[in-house]
Amino acid sequence: MFARFLEMRPVRHRQPHLAAGFPYPCGRHDDIQARGHAVIQFDQVSKRYEGGHEALSQLSFEVPDGEMAFVTGHSGAGKSTLLKLLGLIERPSHGVISMDGKKLSKIRASGVPKWRRRIGMVFQDHRLLMDRSVFANVELPLVIGSIARAERSRRVRAALEKVGLLAYERQLPATLSAGEQQRVGIARAIVARPALLIADEPTGNLDPQLALEIMGLFDEFQQVGTTVLVASHDLPLIKRMKKRVIVLDHGRLVADLAAQEVL
Amino acid sequence: MSTAPENRPAQADAPARNVHSRGRRLASWQEHHRWSAAASLRRLAARPLGSVLTIAVMGLALALPLAFYLLLGNVQRLGDALGQNQAISVFLKPDQGAQQAKLLASQLGERPELAAVTLKTPQQGMDELAKMQGFSGALQTLGDNPLPWVLQLQPRSGTGAAALEQLVGEVRAMRGVDLVQDSGQWRQRLEALLDVGNRVVLIVASLLALAALLVVGNTVRVDIASRSEEIGVLLLIGASKAFVRRPYLYAGIWYGLFSGILAAALAVAIELALAQPVAHLSEAYQGRLHVGGLPLWLLLAVPLAAALLGWLGARLVSAWQLRQAA
Repeated sequence: MFARFLEMRPVRHRQPHLAAGFPYPCGRHDDIQARGHAVIQFDQVSKRYEGGHEALSQLSFEVPDGEMAFVTGHSGAGKSTLLKLLGLIERPSHGVISMDGKKLSKIRASGVPKWRRRIGMVFQDHRLLMDRSVFANVELPLVIGSIARAERSRRVRAALEKVGLLAYERQLPATLSAGEQQRVGIARAIVARPALLIADEPTGNLDPQLALEIMGLFDEFQQVGTTVLVASHDLPLIKRMKKRVIVLDHGRLVADLAAQEVL
Repeated sequence: MSTAPENRPAQADAPARNVHSRGRRLASWQEHHRWSAAASLRRLAARPLGSVLTIAVMGLALALPLAFYLLLGNVQRLGDALGQNQAISVFLKPDQGAQQAKLLASQLGERPELAAVTLKTPQQGMDELAKMQGFSGALQTLGDNPLPWVLQLQPRSGTGAAALEQLVGEVRAMRGVDLVQDSGQWRQRLEALLDVGNRVVLIVASLLALAALLVVGNTVRVDIASRSEEIGVLLLIGASKAFVRRPYLYAGIWYGLFSGILAAALAVAIELALAQPVAHLSEAYQGRLHVGGLPLWLLLAVPLAAALLGWLGARLVSAWQLRQAA
């Protein structure tokens, strides 16, 4: 199906190396290699929203550095809340979250931007700036990180090359398909070489083939040392990926399956 | 193929990531400002009609006080030019002779407010009267010359009304002076009117500057409101509030700068439009009149002041509006 989709858009040059895995035939390996480490620890973490709804309840787990794990569960299980806590979009009501031993609760409001620069976030709805080119969207984290222009240009092109969209760099996101837009979102998330990549339902709007391709990208980033945490309720896809799975139900951890346990 | 944590480039990057060094911070600051300035210019260019209208409104608002200032300056010059004919006449008492008259003229000649002091003898006064039609017959009936010695005082150009009034008062009090006739009283009225005019210009300029401030503020407010989604994304990917706000501050600066340039250009255009009619008027006053332009420092200061005004308007609004948008 995806192949047919590609055939329908012959004018665009698609990068062929994505499906090939490592080593990348073009681009440099260290352009996407993670900087720093990301050992994530949740210790008795609870999150209660105003109004009394408890989204997470006494959650404890650890994700080692460089691991890829899925967080799954039914709608309202607390998957998104968990990722929001890591991105400091929300703060826990109780418990301690730490990364590399640094407690997130110690980070003040003024330190939140700096913290968010250490992680890459991918959203279901992409959250791209539609009035800016693909290149400008991917460039944003590097601009925020004060990377010099020449270096920005090199890294953006490397990131776009990794997601197979280098030929689209001058286009506006609205001219791309949903899968391509999600890839732009992923390129933006990894361009600053974060130690931790979190993705909230990144394949929610995609067909199975595109979803598998996106997951393949996350797998590749894990292989260069990035810790990847993906919230998804797509069980067939999770099974195919054969990664660790953290299962939530009503905010509680009900299962924590190692990769080899996932059937 | 997994890369072991100890082999990652984190350690290798450590010296390069000495982000707290002063040079790095300065370079970072410069890079952010360069990017923000360029990004805000691109935004202005992306909606040319709206930007041009905003700049035009602000430019006209700033040009008005400049035009008033130009007008008042020229009225002042006109008054100065006409005032050259307006002397102060000092009539001495009939018992004052030539010696006292010359002494008084010498004393007044040292006054800084005066450009010249002319002494008129009673005979010169009689001759002037004789030239006037209808007086020659009457003068023949007089036995002695009843006219006194007269001093004609010519105020120095640019001397204020208050200084001249004080001078007249002091001359009146001088020994031997009978009457002081200040034929330049209209000048005082003109000066008073110019004072009022200057005050009006100041008030109008302040109000229009406030209007320009509000125009920028409102434009930035609408801009921020329409970009709330973008602001949310920027904050999510690690932008600080200062980073998010900076392009809007630059937008305020650009609006102010361009409208200030427009206002200065309009003022120069008004000046050029006035030049020819004033040249004609000048011929009627033996070339003593000329149109006075705005000083160069003012023309340069207006765009800078307007840019500051734009920045202030954007600064006041963006802080509050960004909290709402985020």
